[in-house]
Amino acid sequence: MSYFVIGYYALLLAVSCLAAFYNRRSVFLLAFSLTLVSFVLGIVGGVGALKAVAICAGLLGLTAMVSYAFREFLIALAPIETAKELRTAPLTAAFGMFVIFTYAIAGIFAPWIAPFGEAEVISSAFAPADENMLLGADQLGRDMFSRLVFGARNSVGLALTATIAAFVLGAGAGLLAATKGGWFDQFMGRFADVIMSIPSLIFALLMLSIFGPTTPVIIIAVAIIYAPRVFRLTRAVAGNVVVMDYIEAAKLRGEGTGYLIRREILPNSMAPLIAEFGLEFCFVFLLVAGLSFLGLGIQPPTADWGSMVRENATLISFGDITPLIPAAAIALLTVGVNFVVDWMLHRSSGLKE
Amino acid sequence: MPKKKEVLLKIRNLKIQGYSDEQWVDIIKGVDLTLHRGEVMGLIGESGAGKSTIGAGAMGYARDGTRISEGSIEFDGMELTTATEAERRALRGSRIAYVAQSAAASFNPAHKIIDQHTEGPLQYRLQKRMEAQEDAMDLYERLRLPNPKEIGFRYPHQVSGGQLQRAMTAMAMSCRPDLIIFDEPTTALDVTTQIEVLAAIRDIVEQFNTAAIYITHDLAVVAQMADTIKVLLKGSEVEEASTEEMLSNPKEEYTKSLWAVRSFESPQKHRPKDGVPLISVKNVDASYSAGPKILNDVSFDIYAGMTVAVVGESGSGKSTTARCITGLLPPSKGEILFKGTPFPPDYRNRSKDQLRQCQMIYQMADTALNPKVRISEIIGRPAAFYSGLRGAALKNRVDELLDLIELEPSQYYNRYPPELSGGQKQRIGIARALAAEPTFIVCDEVTSALDQLVAEGILRLLDRLQDELDLAYMFITHDLATVRSIADEVVVMQHGRVVEQGPKDEMFTPPHDPYTDLLLSSVPEMDPNWLTTLLEERGVDNIGDAATAKL
Repeated sequence: MSYFVIGYYALLLAVSCLAAFYNRRSVFLLAFSLTLVSFVLGIVGGVGALKAVAICAGLLGLTAMVSYAFREFLIALAPIETAKELRTAPLTAAFGMFVIFTYAIAGIFAPWIAPFGEAEVISSAFAPADENMLLGADQLGRDMFSRLVFGARNSVGLALTATIAAFVLGAGAGLLAATKGGWFDQFMGRFADVIMSIPSLIFALLMLSIFGPTTPVIIIAVAIIYAPRVFRLTRAVAGNVVVMDYIEAAKLRGEGTGYLIRREILPNSMAPLIAEFGLEFCFVFLLVAGLSFLGLGIQPPTADWGSMVRENATLISFGDITPLIPAAAIALLTVGVNFVVDWMLHRSSGLKE
Repeated sequence: MPKKKEVLLKIRNLKIQGYSDEQWVDIIKGVDLTLHRGEVMGLIGESGAGKSTIGAGAMGYARDGTRISEGSIEFDGMELTTATEAERRALRGSRIAYVAQSAAASFNPAHKIIDQHTEGPLQYRLQKRMEAQEDAMDLYERLRLPNPKEIGFRYPHQVSGGQLQRAMTAMAMSCRPDLIIFDEPTTALDVTTQIEVLAAIRDIVEQFNTAAIYITHDLAVVAQMADTIKVLLKGSEVEEASTEEMLSNPKEEYTKSLWAVRSFESPQKHRPKDGVPLISVKNVDASYSAGPKILNDVSFDIYAGMTVAVVGESGSGKSTTARCITGLLPPSKGEILFKGTPFPPDYRNRSKDQLRQCQMIYQMADTALNPKVRISEIIGRPAAFYSGLRGAALKNRVDELLDLIELEPSQYYNRYPPELSGGQKQRIGIARALAAEPTFIVCDEVTSALDQLVAEGILRLLDRLQDELDLAYMFITHDLATVRSIADEVVVMQHGRVVEQGPKDEMFTPPHDPYTDLLLSSVPEMDPNWLTTLLEERGVDNIGDAATAKL
């Protein structure tokens, strides 16, 4: 029995008892069930398993602290109205915002943050990490960390542009269809159905093999694939707004379609659209990463997380985690964005606990 | 009434808080209430006075976002504030029942009425299903629902609003509770329908000697129903007294002002001898896409500077007429003349100047004002759109309009509609209509969603604006008290036809068309014996839907 094990159980039991004493039901249940599980774990896995649990708990605690501090930081900086909204954000949303913030910084300041160029060969293939290279080298001897930082700019930038394009197309058509109604609405609806009936990956592959895998083609293909979903949502949301009396009042005043959409309908359908933007961004990101993995996305030597996974995939058979790092970067961003979106959806749907 | 028996419900120093702007605010600020068995207490007050919150509190229930922070609620010797949720639930439905404002929204549309009715007795194992159904039919009969044996087997959408409200009262009665809470049960109904629901509720409460809390903002209604009346203002009690005493001798200033609301009456104007009517509706027929005819040969004239009230129950075609005039629904036959020249039937074909002439004020100020646009733009846009005002001139115009509707410009200029109260929103709606400098305004039930005091303020404002700006109003309403106070001429509509029309003084003196007569006599009056007298005069089968059907 090492001091670590004794301390471990002592801490858990102390927390359980204190929680029980102060009537904190959920804390007590969590702490004490963890104690019980630890008894079994300690017998089965020994000290190593307990250490792993301690490290996980510590990491979780650290993440929570970072999220909390980051939220307080944002509240302190934001203007009063925004600060009020931010106070309603749960820790998960704060964590998501922190992740997005970190990625944005990495993407924007990539050339200054990355120690080497994205295409610069500095070492032998698959060199392990040393004091020069934080995460080792890839299959051509390029610095993994630098490529990861540049990848944030390329992958995220591409996905962001494609999502914005999809939203401009889809939301524009949706708002117009909801306002105009009649045959235009029908036509746009059926047109969207036609696009949605084509499997998205096959459509993207088709477009890319016809026009060649250049960035503009990727953006346009992805925008066309995702625009119909946005169209449907926007049309549904705007459909609820156009029946309001203030729209009738504006129509009777003789306002044109442009004014109606811009000033009357759009501000009232913004909240669900922003939430949808976050969701779609994740899907687009994964699609772009998938295309890169298939070799049809961003072309080498440009750093991109999807192709980085593919290029280093062979290493996985040697038990090395290098190919998982860009995959983890994708996963972390997706999770982070979804945390923020969940919070926004919760707010815009007006649900209360 | 010798009903002073044992105390059923005793509320002492009740405080309920609501969560807003990240802090708990008192909504109910220490209210006491004592209700005896078989007694009916009326709770009245403006919206936001906390009537419904107290009603829910009497069941030991705090709505989402509210909490009972202090005080005691004792129901038949049981303290509800400290009772467990399970204990409180066992009371609800069986010993305390609740009748909601909108029966149409409160019934589950997917189940038959009688299945929802028998849910309570079955849940509490008071009756077997067949017994409960027999009992339901018996209650339906007592509430004078047509076909009591059969009506329960319909779905809620197959029954009219008044019948549904009575079915809901029957449902509340299903477990023979000691206390029923009626939360504005007739507010959403027409006057003719309201009366039969009132008669039914009063009957059944008397038959079973049930205690009731009757929540409403309509004084005349509460006068018919309640033994005692409690007046609330902003979460505090103003005064409480027996109905007769409260009506004849109110003590507090606030109560007196509530009583005096109906006194406003604008002097009646008469048509100019020879002149062209400003708006003339000529033999208009209309229908919604291939549906049945909604309007059938409707004709009436509106002269400049005069108010024409269009009355009738819901579905009589009042609002459809307004839609024809504004051009939202082009008539299938007939035409709309403006100063003798025909208006294009579709609003899209009207010129800017023609659109400017005819503005609308809506019933629900909530949906009539864009919640995401500042007041300055809501009012400023029509001014800029029609008159081309810009910059400082536009700001001056908006200030002038805000002054006109008695709101301080500097305070409201940059605010958003959700930050305003109902009455203020309605004023903004009026200002938006005025900004176009119209000659004619359609007022679609503008006061029916407002409290009486606020509504009176709006009526006075409209009347003042009419005199200052020489406006003509088409005033759509189902409230005859409003007609009495503001109209110059009255048009009575039923089933899409004009039943009767003429100057106000003629319309309010007999002889009437039988339908007008029914409408007029159905308006509740302050006299607590009004309902009794009316029922004696006409008989129970000659009110409400039954009477309408006979015409």
